[in-house]
Amino acid sequence: MNGSLANAVRSDWFGPLLVTIVAVAIVGGFNPSFLSPLNIQVLLLAIAVNGLIAFSQMLIIAIGQMNLSVGAIGGLCAIVFAGMMDAWHVPASLAALSALSLGVICGVINGFLIARTGISAFVITLASLSVYKGINLGITHAQPFYNISDGVKSIGQGAIFGIIPWLMLPTMAVGLALWFMLNRQPIGRFILAVGGNQHAAELSGISIANTVVIVHALSGFLAALAGLLLVARLQMGQPTIGDDWLILSFAAPVIGGAVLAGGHVSVPATLLGVVIVAIITQALVLFDIDPFLVQVVLGAMILAAVGANRFRESRLSRNLKRL
Amino acid sequence: MASEIAFQALGIEKSFPGVKALKGVSLTLKTHSIHALLGENGAGKSTLIKIITGVHHPDAGRLILEGQEVHFGSPREAIAHRVGVVHQERNLIPRFSVAENIHLEQLGASLLKPVDYADLNKQAARWLEALGLDIDPRTPVSRLSVAKMQLVEIAKALSLRSRVLLLDEPTASLTSSETDLLFSFLRKLRDQGASLLFVSHKLEEAQELCDSVTVLRDGSNACESRPMEGLGRQDIVRLMIGRAEGEGGWRERNSTGAPPAIELKNIETSLGHVDVNLHVRKGEIVGLYGLVGAGRTELAKCILGQFPLTAGTVEIDGKPVKIRSVGEAIHTHRVGYVSEDRKGEGLVLMHSVLSNAGIAVWRPLSALLGFLTDRLVRHKVTPYIEKLEVKTPSLAQTVANLSGGNQQKISVAKWLAAGVKILLVDEPSVGIDIKTKAYLHDLLRELADNGTAILLITSDMPEMILLADRILVMNDYRLQGQLINDGSYAGMSEGIMNLIHRSEAA
Repeated sequence: MNGSLANAVRSDWFGPLLVTIVAVAIVGGFNPSFLSPLNIQVLLLAIAVNGLIAFSQMLIIAIGQMNLSVGAIGGLCAIVFAGMMDAWHVPASLAALSALSLGVICGVINGFLIARTGISAFVITLASLSVYKGINLGITHAQPFYNISDGVKSIGQGAIFGIIPWLMLPTMAVGLALWFMLNRQPIGRFILAVGGNQHAAELSGISIANTVVIVHALSGFLAALAGLLLVARLQMGQPTIGDDWLILSFAAPVIGGAVLAGGHVSVPATLLGVVIVAIITQALVLFDIDPFLVQVVLGAMILAAVGANRFRESRLSRNLKRL
Repeated sequence: MASEIAFQALGIEKSFPGVKALKGVSLTLKTHSIHALLGENGAGKSTLIKIITGVHHPDAGRLILEGQEVHFGSPREAIAHRVGVVHQERNLIPRFSVAENIHLEQLGASLLKPVDYADLNKQAARWLEALGLDIDPRTPVSRLSVAKMQLVEIAKALSLRSRVLLLDEPTASLTSSETDLLFSFLRKLRDQGASLLFVSHKLEEAQELCDSVTVLRDGSNACESRPMEGLGRQDIVRLMIGRAEGEGGWRERNSTGAPPAIELKNIETSLGHVDVNLHVRKGEIVGLYGLVGAGRTELAKCILGQFPLTAGTVEIDGKPVKIRSVGEAIHTHRVGYVSEDRKGEGLVLMHSVLSNAGIAVWRPLSALLGFLTDRLVRHKVTPYIEKLEVKTPSLAQTVANLSGGNQQKISVAKWLAAGVKILLVDEPSVGIDIKTKAYLHDLLRELADNGTAILLITSDMPEMILLADRILVMNDYRLQGQLINDGSYAGMSEGIMNLIHRSEAA
């Protein structure tokens, strides 16, 4: 095997890419309507929103923590966005700006509590999940906001060349920005350094507290952005937005080879993880399989991906020992 | 060369919950000088270093850098004042490249300005070259050997152009040629005017390299910043432990008539051991020597059944056995293992002394009655805790709060309570002081005299030669040969090194 091919095989995105291609071939082969422009557009819509959800969790995984409140933040920001337009007739741009700022604030609160108290991210975000969701229900009384601006509605339905949804654009931009940040910018390197060896990062003069707060702020921002896109896609502000994000938010990064202990995540492979989840979800619908099975399949995929990652790691370390 | 005072620590005090680690310690570092900081484990060396580098804050005392009093709120501030350090623990980010690890400190200037990797690699190459290291700066650190990682950490500290450079046991994992290279580089730094602080357990090294010395004992100065000249090895040891080095030397023991308690025949393991043949007789102490990474700990874990054997047989008391799990090793075959990684594998730090010492007897005790009471366990383990003179306020004390030496005593006590017949002891004296070490040595001998077969794994050559009846040498997951120990340090150490290097030359 030549060097660049061997490197490609070892990389995080190779496995998921292979699975994606095979999945497309199989599903498309059994059911040609899977590759129809309409279906592709539906698929891309799901990928646009789910990609942001996955990125939101991926950043937290990068520092070796977890954020259980991703869905609660996204849901709260979504109904604030819709609610401001519905109840106060605030212009869409201002409502969006406020909702995104709220996402950042929610994230900063998480990060600040984790950094300051030293309590684990699991516990802090479990608590904040409940708080943010409670505020959501307090505002909405579990009723959706229907009167959102027409501009938002048309963005949610529009597509470039009739196939690529407008909503794909923010997700692609975020993906590129995150890739650049994690691979080229000091802040991204600090995030991975803290995840890789927190003690070493601290002794190298990196502020753990600042890094944790920044990462949670970014995570909150991305969760809010996902919530906004979902409002545009659903054409209303549903109080249930975010309720089912948690499993997916972990599944995609893990399928993309992220190490849950921190220090290693991949933006392209995470996106491929989202694609795989979307294809399988779609396939179950196309083949008329009970949608409740989606949950089961997602769970099984997380287990399989973690197993595959462990296998890869142990083979890698064994190879190293032989050098 | 004019030598000026570069750095002073005056009357430093520091308490941690339950212990006063430093009780007013002072230290003066001069330019153009390498200063040794010596002391037993627990004397406070690492605490002092962490205070100087801003990791801990002193409760009292002053730090003076080039005539100015300084307060370091964090490691970052110390770095900004060009006080550099190579810590004892590994402090690299495994998946980052060598170059990025070396320059991690410097990236912080702007959080968003893109990293110029080409420039980073070029700069790092300079430092690697200065240290005589032939490593591509783009290599991920996780692919390096432990020794190379250590040298990268040194390059990292050097790259800060520190005025004051602290080295906490930098040679612990280096070979002698790597050590020589490092020393010549440190001397060059000294001649350029740097002020270096060198911490080591190897007195010979400190004497060879350093021109002045501070010795700590029990959190106080046993001597403060005096010239190394005129101090002999015995003088330093006396300063460190407050008395002359204990006797407790090697003694001849004869167990050749006893039957083998455990015998390995043509063992191959899933971890890569090839053709391992060895036996330990009842009452015999067999040493297993090798450099870090030779496969000794791994062999112990295979014997315990933690990793599978792929070929060969294990015989215990002359009968072939198959050990499928650690539980089986302990309860059926009476094999115990004192882990080298006391904190990670040997003890449950958050739990009490009682439950740690009793952990290996829970099963037999509860099997008897179906349930377990504290009284039952206490009854079983107390004699051993007392016998080993574990210093603990009570059996309910959390193990994490005890000193390293006492923790180690508990990890031995737990196997005594379980009544093992074969004990695998891995690096028993890492991180414990000379007094406790001598005590542990006596204890291991006493155990052997009472018929326990002991396989002793240690990288501490004097300890090996002090304790073992026979010494097996392992390198690269194979046994290279065996030496009958005659207790003479010079002869045995040469024999051991010959065995190791013979295999490397071949």
